[in-house]
Parts: sequence; structure tokens; C-alpha cells
Amino acid sequence: MTSIQLPSGRRELRDYILRLHWPLMIALSMIAGAGVLTLYSVAGGSWSPWALKHGLRFAATLGLMVAMSFVAIRYWMALAYPLYFAALFALALVPVIGEVNMGAQRWLEFGGFQFQPSEAMKIGLVMGLARYYHSLRSEQVSNILYLAPPLAMIGAPVGLVFIQPDLGTSLLLAASGFSIVLLAGLSWRITFFGGFLAVVGAYFAYRFEILKPYQLERIFTFLDPDRDPLGQGYQLLQSKIGIGSGGLTGKGFMEGSQAQLRFLPEMQTDFIFIVFGEEFGFVGAMFLLGLYLSVVIMGALIALKSRSHFARLVSMGVVITFALYVLINTGMVIGLAPVVGVPLPLVSYGGTVMLTIMAGFGLVMSAHSSRDQEISGILV
Amino acid sequence: MRGGSDPERKEVFTRRAVLFSGGVSLLFGGVAARLYHLQIARHDTFEDLALENQFNTRVITPLRGEIVDRFGVSLATNRQNFRVLLVPEETSDPAEALQKIANFVDLPPARRDRILREIRRTGGVNPVQVVDNLDWDEFSKISFARPELEGTLPEVGETRAYPFSSATAFVVGYVGAVTDRDLQAENQEEERVLLRQPGFKVGRDGLERTYERELRGVAGAMQVKVNAHGRVLKEYREEAVQPEQGRTLALTIDAELQMAAMKELEGESASAVVIDIETGDVLVLASTPAFDPNLFNTGIPADLWKEFNESPYKPLLNKPLGGVYPPGSTFKAVSAIAAQRSGVKTNHSVRCLGRFWYGNRYFHCWKQGGHGYVDMKASLKHSCDTFYYDIAQTLDIDLLADTATKLGLGQSYNLGIPGERAGVMPSRAWKAEYYAGDPENQKWYPGETLSAIIGQGAVTSTPLQLAVMAARVASGREIRPRIVRMIGDTVTKQPTFAQIDIDQGYFDVVRAGMNAVTNEGGTAARSRLENPEWQLAGKTGTSQVYRITAEERAKGLTKPEQLPWERRDHALFICFAPYESPRYACSVVIEHGIGGARAAGPKAREIMRAVMQKDPARIPAIGPAAIAARGSTDAREPGRGA
Repeated sequence: MTSIQLPSGRRELRDYILRLHWPLMIALSMIAGAGVLTLYSVAGGSWSPWALKHGLRFAATLGLMVAMSFVAIRYWMALAYPLYFAALFALALVPVIGEVNMGAQRWLEFGGFQFQPSEAMKIGLVMGLARYYHSLRSEQVSNILYLAPPLAMIGAPVGLVFIQPDLGTSLLLAASGFSIVLLAGLSWRITFFGGFLAVVGAYFAYRFEILKPYQLERIFTFLDPDRDPLGQGYQLLQSKIGIGSGGLTGKGFMEGSQAQLRFLPEMQTDFIFIVFGEEFGFVGAMFLLGLYLSVVIMGALIALKSRSHFARLVSMGVVITFALYVLINTGMVIGLAPVVGVPLPLVSYGGTVMLTIMAGFGLVMSAHSSRDQEISGILV
Repeated sequence: MRGGSDPERKEVFTRRAVLFSGGVSLLFGGVAARLYHLQIARHDTFEDLALENQFNTRVITPLRGEIVDRFGVSLATNRQNFRVLLVPEETSDPAEALQKIANFVDLPPARRDRILREIRRTGGVNPVQVVDNLDWDEFSKISFARPELEGTLPEVGETRAYPFSSATAFVVGYVGAVTDRDLQAENQEEERVLLRQPGFKVGRDGLERTYERELRGVAGAMQVKVNAHGRVLKEYREEAVQPEQGRTLALTIDAELQMAAMKELEGESASAVVIDIETGDVLVLASTPAFDPNLFNTGIPADLWKEFNESPYKPLLNKPLGGVYPPGSTFKAVSAIAAQRSGVKTNHSVRCLGRFWYGNRYFHCWKQGGHGYVDMKASLKHSCDTFYYDIAQTLDIDLLADTATKLGLGQSYNLGIPGERAGVMPSRAWKAEYYAGDPENQKWYPGETLSAIIGQGAVTSTPLQLAVMAARVASGREIRPRIVRMIGDTVTKQPTFAQIDIDQGYFDVVRAGMNAVTNEGGTAARSRLENPEWQLAGKTGTSQVYRITAEERAKGLTKPEQLPWERRDHALFICFAPYESPRYACSVVIEHGIGGARAAGPKAREIMRAVMQKDPARIPAIGPAAIAARGSTDAREPGRGA
């Protein structure tokens, strides 16, 4: 019955496509579109060197996301531990053979292709922890014995990233890791006790100079921007001038004087939100923030609707990581958070982060497509 | 089995996922609130700061005013200066960029190192000058190749140029780089800003220095849009305040005659001054040897400076104003008038035997064996010293000093050129003051009058004073020299010269005596101008620098040529012409020229020949309208730096 099988095969593909979460894809595409627009402006009205590449990368990673969504979530769960440990291994390799970039070793290079294991770990950690808690019963979650493995799973990559040194990413990894532990149901008592220990640890970190001077400097500058008017504080002041002078409706596309005259630092990466805010004003910034929030809400809804615990935890983990990126970046450029070097997802120029984000949403889309599937038993 | 069949696990997750989402939404709200604060509430503040960031005021340096001669010929002007700047921030490697530039212009490694050091010192923010004063050929080559030369900025600036080079060096002076002292002396901030412009020059000597304020002009200003590195992105030329060129200085000098005089004096350490007797206009103010002020533009090379300072010919001394010499026999013009004022008649006759006994020694006349009987006119014609020794016995030194002062000696005229000296005309008061700390020497001795009356002893004068003296003798008026005719289009008031407060009749015998010097077979008969319309009346002078001792004389040293150059007598000559209606007065001083008649007279004659031939007083000088027409203020490149 080939004449029946072929249409049914076709129908299956259409089915896949219909099951894609179109609103989420559209929201992500609009955010990336804002990125292309801003990068075009930052380059002084030119597709090179950033805008075109950014668009092409987004198209490619969008394809990856869709492809990942075609793979049922149970297969991803099967890959969780291998991916986590592969990422951990790669992270451990960085200090040995990594490339030194701006005083820190973050990259591995294979024949001209650069790879940042800390980025892969952002997905790997979420998947690994979700995989771990998937197998735990609720009463086991707050058991200290069962808490040890996830703490080790978080601690190992956070420590490795921290010594690169990359404070921002290590904090981000720790935050998203502990979010999953909390989502899995760790009792509040243990949580607050752990928080207390962390504060004590931070004090000793300061006392025994575990942080690099520039990292401390960033924190102090955040606390008191007048400390260093031409360093971090200068950047922050110029950022505030940039976004503040944007006003309600902005200075217009490619009209941002702070950006066009190069008063802003690292405009195509970490400080791109300022450019957007200067040129499109409060209205534009609210629209972009709204898009981000809609992605967060849609992701959270997917998590809540999923039937498998792995899918729930992975989706929520990705969403929280994504939200942390947005909050830390925007908070940092407008003076609410220290300058730690976190990009604005899908808007800042940079391929690795975009790949991480889109791969993460690939998992979320997969969770959405497999929302009705319960995962019973372990595959592979 | 383990997965889904755990409702509590899902419940906890749901609660916490909602909690997290709520928390995230709240934080988003916090960001939104902060944005509201920055973009709406404090928008005006940040808008002002953003504007402040991007606009700067750039100074546009004014063109320096020109200095021209009486007919409008440029003595100091502005020349285009083709130069190449390097913008360090536009190069990937400044050393490499310089290497490439070196393919087009001469750029030795030492110079390149200096530029690289300067880039490092300034942090590479400002453009640095790589080379300047390129010729058009080099400049066009490098401009053409500019696309391959990263960070290279060929530019046309301005530099001062002195077309007459050394011939007018002591008149116009020169400009030089601004020093810290200049900045401290300047109390207006706008002017200080102008002085700080890279490559800005101020007058260092001569009229360039005295009239710095008038010549400098007024800076313009232009709003420019800059980037964070301070580089100019856009110039608002239409709204710019244009600079005003400095005012033109029109002098009394006649460049052509100045050149003629310089040529005449070439090879000597000498000076010449020519004055228009009617107006006091200084037509010629020549000093040799002289330096080329164009060399001093970019800073005086150390070895040249040393050479100039060590030279016995004193090429840095402005001799007509700053050189002081005993006037020698030219002073007899003063002495003859003073004698008449003391009651001596022109027919007073003295028998000259070649020497004159006074006090306890002989005073010698220049002519061994003497002149025989001489009256006042003959005393001038033959420059007989004995005649004046005789008069000096009864002449009061203060009357002599008063006469000399009235005839222009012992005072400075503030021509406007730095370094003018007053010389000395001794008197009782002068001596008392001069020896203020030495009471025994304060008394005036009659023997000193015998030296003073022939222009020796303490009497010193500048060539300018000698020319003024000649003019005053010729006219009987208080001629005062001037060198600046116009500042911008303002003509300096033409002075009227009052009659000298001395019986005008006393001048006649002096004029007649001077006429006899050149035209009746006197001491400077060789300096006669043949053209009867140009009849030149003069007076020679030889001022003693070194007295040949009796011992040396005994050894056979009698001729001054046998002495080393620096011990030879100075040669002087003053004159005026035409004799019947004097218009031009002239003085020539040849340092160590031995004899006024032999060395100075013929040169004065040639200078006066040129003057009489041209007769510049007859040609109308440049007027205010012509000055205004040539001073065009054009739009200039803005200076670099704020």
C-alpha cells in the first residue's frame, strides 16, 4: 500500500511542523531581528562585520533548534549524562591546552574551530541535573545523601570555570544549577542553611583573595561608581548617558550619538542593550523586554504542561538560564548589577552563546513536542 | 514507573516553577522601573550630557599679519607649509606606517624614533607631525599614495617666510615656538588656548616681537563633532566664527634700498642707516653680517647658534641700533655748533702744528705736521683736531653735551625694535652719576673735554643716532626716526618736527664744512657724487679702538693695517643730500674699517647714489586702502587639540 504510506509519511512531517511552538519561535526570531538591526547600526549602517553574520548564525541555529525538537525528549534524557561528562571533560582540558584570551583561558581550538566548553556546560549541567532528579522520588530530594551528587555536579564545572578565570559564567552556572535543585523540591530549610554557608564562604573568598583584583574592582565599582571615573565607572556613566538620552521614543535608528561616536564600550557585545535603548528609547526597550518575558512565560508554560519530570526540569532550567542572562546583562548595563561580562541573549554578537541558547530552546521545543509523553524507565 | 507516578514531585515543581516565573517577572519589572527612571525621569540630564560629549569647540588659528615695506613689498609673509601628520589610532603599527612614509620623504631612523616616542608619550591620541616644509612634488606624491598609507594625513598649514632673508632680519626679527614663559605671561585664557595650538609661533625678536599683539590676529572657533577618542568627525563650517588675520605692519623701510645697502656692506662688519629728513622715515637699516630668519623659524640649530655667538663679526647684533661706537670726527658737527653757542665766531682761526700742548701732555692732530691756519669751516673740511683742542680749553662740557643731545645723541628713539641702545654723551651730571661709588673720580677734568670734543673718550653713539644727527644738522629740526608707518589701515600720525632750540645760523658753517669735505677737496673728496643735483655733504670719522703705544711705534708699527683686525679703528661717515635742499641723511659705520674717508665714505656714497637715483620720497607709499585690500581673511583649517 505504497499509495497510502506516502501520504501518511508526509502527514507525519506536517504533524511535526504543526506541533512546533510557533509563538516561541516567532518571539525568538524577533529578538534576534532586534539584534541584527542594532548590530547594523553599531557598524555605522553596515551589514559587516556583525549584522549579516548574526542573522545567518541565527538562521542556522534556528534550524538546529527545529531539528532538535523533532527528537523526542526521552532520547535527550538518554544523552544527558554523556553530554554532561563530555562537557566536564572539555572544561578540564581548557587549562591544559586552551587558548589564552584577554588573560583568561576559555577556548579550545580544533583546527581553526573555536569551542568554549563553559557554554556547552550550561546545557550539559541543566540536562545532567534534570536527568538526576528525574530518577529521584520527592522524599529523596531533601535527603543529604542524595544532595551530594548534584552539588558535586554543580561544583565541579563552576570551579573549573572560575579558575579560567570567568566569574560571570561560573556564577551563572551556579545560579542555574541551584535553580534546578530548588525546582526539584529541595526543602527551604536546607536551602537557607546552604545560603548562609555560601555567604560565609564568600567572606573567606574575599579575605583570602581568591577573587582576581579586577573582579573585586568590578564589584566595588558597582557599589560606588565614582571610585574609578575612567575605568568601569566611566563605562557605566557613558552607558547611563546613552540609554538616558534615548528618552521615550529614542533618537532613531542609527542616530544614537553615544553609540555612533563610540562613547560606549563593547557595543556589539555586552553593551548592545544601551545602543538599542538609545536609538529606540523607553518604548523600544520595553518592547524588547516584553519579548524576553514572553519567551520566559512560554517556556515556563511548556515546563508546566510537560508530563515527564526530565522535560519539566530541563525546560525550566533553560528558561531560568535564559532569564538570568537577560537580567544580568540589562541590570549590568544600567547599573543594577556588577559588570561581569554577560551577553544579551540573541542580540549580542557572538556565535557560541547563540548556539547555547538555541540548543537550549531546542530541548524546550522537544519537550513541547513530547509534552504528552511520559518517560518510564531508562533508555540506553 | 518511577517518573510520572509521583504527584507530590509534580506539585512541588509546579509551585516552585510558578514562584520562579513570578520572581523573574518581578526582576524584569525592576529593570523596567530602572529604565523608566533613566529614560523618562532623568532624560533631560542625560540628553545634556550626551550633547556635551559629542561637541567640542576647535580653535581656528588666525593668519599672522604681514610686514611690508613702504611700497607694500612683503618682508614677512605666510607661506603654505606642506606637512604630513600621522594619526596613531588609525594605524595598526605606527612604526610600520612611518617606514612606509619614509619611502616618499626623507625620514631618517633617528627622526622616526623621536616620532614614535612622542606617540607613546601622548598615548597616541593626538596626530603627530611627521615632516613639514615639503615641496609640492613630495607632497603630491604622498597625497596620491595616501590610500596605501594608513593613518597618514597630508595637510597644508602655514609657516612664516621672510622673502628678503638676512637683508631685513634685524628689522622684522623672527618668530619662534611658544614657550612656557609666553603662556605664563599671557593673562587671557582665549589667547592661551591659541598659544597652545600645535605649531603656533610668536614673535621672538624685532618688530615681530614688539608688534606681536597686532600681528597675531584673532582666533576663530568652530564647533566640531568628535568621537570618544576626540577625533573630528564633522565640522560645522557655516556656523564657524572666522579668525581675523593679524594686522599688516607697513614700514618706512624701502626693501630695494635696504638690499642695495646690504650688498654694499657685504663682507664687512658694518651698518648703514638712511633717514628721510622730511618725515623721519627710516628707509634703510642695514646690519652685516646677518642671519637668515627663515632658519630660525623651526628653532635655531645649536651649532649655528654657537657659531653666531662666537663670531667676532657679531652676526646676532643689530648694529645700527645696538652697536655703540665713539663718533670720532663726525662729532665735530656737534662741536662746531657748541663752539658758536659759547661765543666762538666762525672766522676764529687756529694754527695747527699737528699737536697741541695741554696740561702735561701733547694732544695729537690726525695729520702729522699739522694743517697750518684753519678756521671753523676748514676745521670740518680737513677734520682738524687742533682747532677743537683750542676751543675745548674754554668750552663748557655741559654746553657740548646739551648740543649733542639736541642734535640727537645720547638717547634712544624707541623705534620698536628690541635692543636699541642710548649710547653715552658725557656731562658733569653724567660723570657724577657714573662714578657714584667713587667720589674721587666724579669731578670733570678739562682734559676730558679735549677728548669729548673730537668724539672720543666717553662719547659713544649708535649708527641710528649718527644718521639722526646728520638729518638734524641738515635741517635744523628735531628729526625723530620712525620705522612703522601703518598698523593695519591706521596710519601713524605724521610728526611735525620743531626747529631745534639753537640759533639756526650756527648750522650754516657746519653744512658748508660738510659740503667742503666731499665737494671742495676735503677729507672725503673721493666720496663726491658727480651729479650736481645729488650734491652730497658729508663728514668722516675715525674712532680709535686701540692706541698704538710709543714702544710699538718705536718698533716700527705705524700703520693701522699692521694691527690685528679687532684693534683697528672704526670707520664712520655721515652725510646728507642734496646739499641745497636736504632730503636724505645717512650714516655708515664699518667696524675696524680703519679710516672713515677710505672705508665708510665710498660705501655711504654708493648707498646715497642708489637713494638719490630712486628718490623714494617722491614715490607715493602704500596707503590704507591698498593694505585693506591685501589682507584677506580666508577660512582656515582648524587647529588640532581642543
